[in-house]
Amino acid sequence: MAVTPVSINKAVRVGDLEQYVMLTTVEKAIAWSSSNSIWPAGFGLACCAIEMMSLPSPRYDIARFGAEVFRSSPRQADLLIVSGRVAHKMAPAVRQVYDQMLVPKWVMAMGACSSSGGMFANYAILQGVDKIIPVDVHVPGCPPRPEAVVDGLMVIQKKIRAGIAPAYELEKSKA
Amino acid sequence: MSTTENPTSTPVRPLWQSASLPPGAPSNVQPPEGQDLITINFGPNHPSTHGVLRLIVTLDGEVVVGLDADIGYVHTGFEKNFEQKTYWKGIPYAPRMDYVAFFANELAYVHAVERLIEIDVPERARWIRTLFAELNRIHSHLIYLGTSGVELGAISLFFYCLRERDKVLDLFEMVTGVRMHDRYPQFGGVAEDLPKGFYAEARKFCDDMPRRIDEYIDLVAGNSIWIDRYQGIGCITPEMAIAMGLSGPNLRACGVPYDIRRATPYLVYDQLEFDVVTADKGDAYDRLMCRVKEMYESVKLIEQCLDSMPGGPVMSDDRKYVLPPRSELQTSMESLIHHFKLVTEGFRPPAGQLYEAIESPRGEFGCFLVSDGGPKPWRIHFRAPSFVSLQVTAMMSERRYIADLIAVVGSLDGVMGEADR
Amino acid sequence: MSADELAAAVEAAVPGALEAHSDAADMPTLTVRRESLLDVCRHLRDALGRNFLSAVSAVDYLGYGEEVAGYFGTERGRDINRTGSWGSAETPEPMPHRFAVYYHLAHIDMTETAPPDRVRLRVWLDEGESVPSVVEIWPTADWHEREQYDLMGIEFSGHPNLKRLIMPSDWDGHPLRKDYPIGGEPVQFTDAI
Repeated sequence: MAVTPVSINKAVRVGDLEQYVMLTTVEKAIAWSSSNSIWPAGFGLACCAIEMMSLPSPRYDIARFGAEVFRSSPRQADLLIVSGRVAHKMAPAVRQVYDQMLVPKWVMAMGACSSSGGMFANYAILQGVDKIIPVDVHVPGCPPRPEAVVDGLMVIQKKIRAGIAPAYELEKSKA
Repeated sequence: MSTTENPTSTPVRPLWQSASLPPGAPSNVQPPEGQDLITINFGPNHPSTHGVLRLIVTLDGEVVVGLDADIGYVHTGFEKNFEQKTYWKGIPYAPRMDYVAFFANELAYVHAVERLIEIDVPERARWIRTLFAELNRIHSHLIYLGTSGVELGAISLFFYCLRERDKVLDLFEMVTGVRMHDRYPQFGGVAEDLPKGFYAEARKFCDDMPRRIDEYIDLVAGNSIWIDRYQGIGCITPEMAIAMGLSGPNLRACGVPYDIRRATPYLVYDQLEFDVVTADKGDAYDRLMCRVKEMYESVKLIEQCLDSMPGGPVMSDDRKYVLPPRSELQTSMESLIHHFKLVTEGFRPPAGQLYEAIESPRGEFGCFLVSDGGPKPWRIHFRAPSFVSLQVTAMMSERRYIADLIAVVGSLDGVMGEADR
Repeated sequence: MSADELAAAVEAAVPGALEAHSDAADMPTLTVRRESLLDVCRHLRDALGRNFLSAVSAVDYLGYGEEVAGYFGTERGRDINRTGSWGSAETPEPMPHRFAVYYHLAHIDMTETAPPDRVRLRVWLDEGESVPSVVEIWPTADWHEREQYDLMGIEFSGHPNLKRLIMPSDWDGHPLRKDYPIGGEPVQFTDAI
C-alpha cells in the first residue's frame, strides 16, 4: 500500500487517480491499524515478567510497534502476555482476566512455563496456559530474550494483517 | 487532617509512629466491628503488587483498617522439584525462585552443597562469584528503584533504571551466555572463565555507574512529592524489625548494622572493603536510600574484584564431584566414566543437614539442606527474605492511607517468586 | 559457644528439656522435647540473646534409611534397581520419628556487626502430634508455621491463625510429604531423570 506523496496543485486527470487514492478493503485497513496498536495487558507473573518489563525500555522499545501502553485494566487491553508460570491457584485469576478482555483479543504464552509448564512438572503448576485460555503464539525461552518476545509480537501482527482470526475463534470453529 | 465528619471514622496514624503488633496473628490486622467499612480485593493481578500478591484490604474511607495477605499465587513447588533431581540438575531450579536476584539463590544452594561435600573452590572462582553477586545486587536494586517509581507515578525513573539494568545484563550475557537465570555457579567453581573484553566492559560500567546513581538520587531524594510519599511511611523500630524477622536493607534502614557479608563473611568479602549502609528512622525513605547507597558500595566491590582478580583455574578438579573438561573425554577412560556417573547418577554427599545463609539483595536468603547420602536431596527448605518481610505489610499499613499501603509494599522490595517458592 | 556449653546452659535453666545435642557441620544442634520447647525458646531469646528466628523448617523422614524408599503415590520410586532413581550406597541411620521441625536461631546485635551465633533446635514429632507455636516468642514465626502446616501438615498448637497460606484454601493433602506424589501430567519423557 505504499504511495509516493504527490503534490496535487496541478489538475488531476482521471488516468492519474491511482497516484492519489488508496484502494483497499475495510478489513485490511482495520487489520493494518489494529496490528500497529496492540495494547498489552500488564500481566506479569514470574521471571518472564522481568524480561517483559524491559520491552518498553529504551533498548528493545516496543513503542515502535505501537504496543508501549501496558494497560492495567484488561478491559482496555488487546493482548494478554502470560509471562510466567501459572500456578493452579492463579489459574482462575488468569481466566477471569482473559474473560474481562474485549474482543478481538490475542494471547501470547511467553516462555516455557506458560507454554507447557516449563521445567516444573509438578502438582503446583498448570502445564500450559493453553489448557484454560486459547493461545495465539507461544514464545519459547526461559526466559525468552526481549527480542524473542518482540518477534512473537510481530508474528501476531502478521497474523492480524493476514486476516487470520484470533485463537478463540479458531477454537470455536474447531469445536 | 485525620477524621471525616463521621465520628466513628478511624484516625490516620501520624507520621513517624512506629508499627506495633496487632492483637491475634502478627501478620494480619482484623478490622474493627460496627463501622461503615468496605473490603476490597487487591490483586493478584494489579499493577503494583510486585508479582502476584493478593491483599484483602478493609477500608474506612481511604484509611486501611484491616489487612490480610493471601500469597501462593506463584507457588511452584520448588522444594519438591529439588527432591526429584540430582544436585547438579537442581542448579537451574535455584535462580528461578527470586527471579530478580537470581545469582544470590544459586549461590546459596551451591554453597550449601559445597559445604556438605567439603570441596575446595579455586580462588579465582570465588572472586568471580563475588563480582557477579555484586552485579546482581545492582540489578536487583535497579529493578526495585524502577518499580518504586512506577508505583508512585514517577515513570521516567523506570526507564532510566532499565537502561542501566540492560548494561548489567550485558555483562552477565558476555560471560554466561544468558541474561537471567544463568547456571553459572557450579559445584566446585563457576562454569566458564571470563572472556577477553570483559574487564574493559566491566570497567566502563563501573566508571559510568556512580554518575548514574547520582542522577537517580537527584531525581528522587530532593523531590518534594517523593519525600511526602515516602518519608514517615512504614516506620518500624529495630526491635520490632528483628522480632518480625526482617533482614537486609529493610533491617539496616532501622539502624541495625547486620550484614551477613560482614558478620559471617563468605566468598572473598573478608578481603574486600565496603561499608555497611544503615539509616536511622526505619521508614520507606530510609529503605530506599539504603538500597541506593548500597549500589555505590557494590560498584566499589566490583572495582576491587576487577583489580585483585587472581589467575588460575575456575573449577575444582575433584573428579568425584566436578565434570571433567570435555577435551579429556576423548583420551581418558576414567574421565569418561566419571562424566557418565556424574551425569546419570550424580554424586553422593554424606548424610547430614546444614543451613547456609547469604546476603541476598533482599536480606538473609537461607538454604536448609537435608541429605540422606543419596544422589538427590532429601529435603531443601529455602528461607526467603521476601516471605518474611511481607508479614510486616499489615502492621505497617494499619491506619494509614491506601496510597501509603502501595508505597509500603514497594519499599519492602518483596519478590513473590521467592515468597511462594 | 559450642553445643556442650549451650546444652549445659539450657539444661540449667530448663531441666530435662534436651534429648540430645551435637555440633553439626555448621552450628550447634539441640534436640528439644516437645513439651519444653517454649521454655527453651524463651531462655534462648532472653538469656542467651537469640533474638532472630531465621526459619522454621519441617522435614518428613518417611522412608529415610530404607533401601527402597519412594513416593508411595506413584510407580516411580527410589528403587535402587531402577535407572535414574538410585538410593544410597550406604543406607543412613533411620530416624526415630517421622517428622522433625527445625528452628534456626541467630543473634543480631543492635549496634555492631557481630557474628550471629546460630543455633538449630530440633523437635521430633510423629504423625498427628502437634508442636507448640513459638509465635509469642518470635512473631516472625507466624507465616513460617502456617507454611509448614500447609505443606507438611504439622499442627502448631496455639497459633492464632493456622490456615493454609500457599496452597488454595480448599486443597487436599500436604504436598511436601513423602507420600504425596510429585504431580504434573505424564508426557513422553516423564520418567527420564
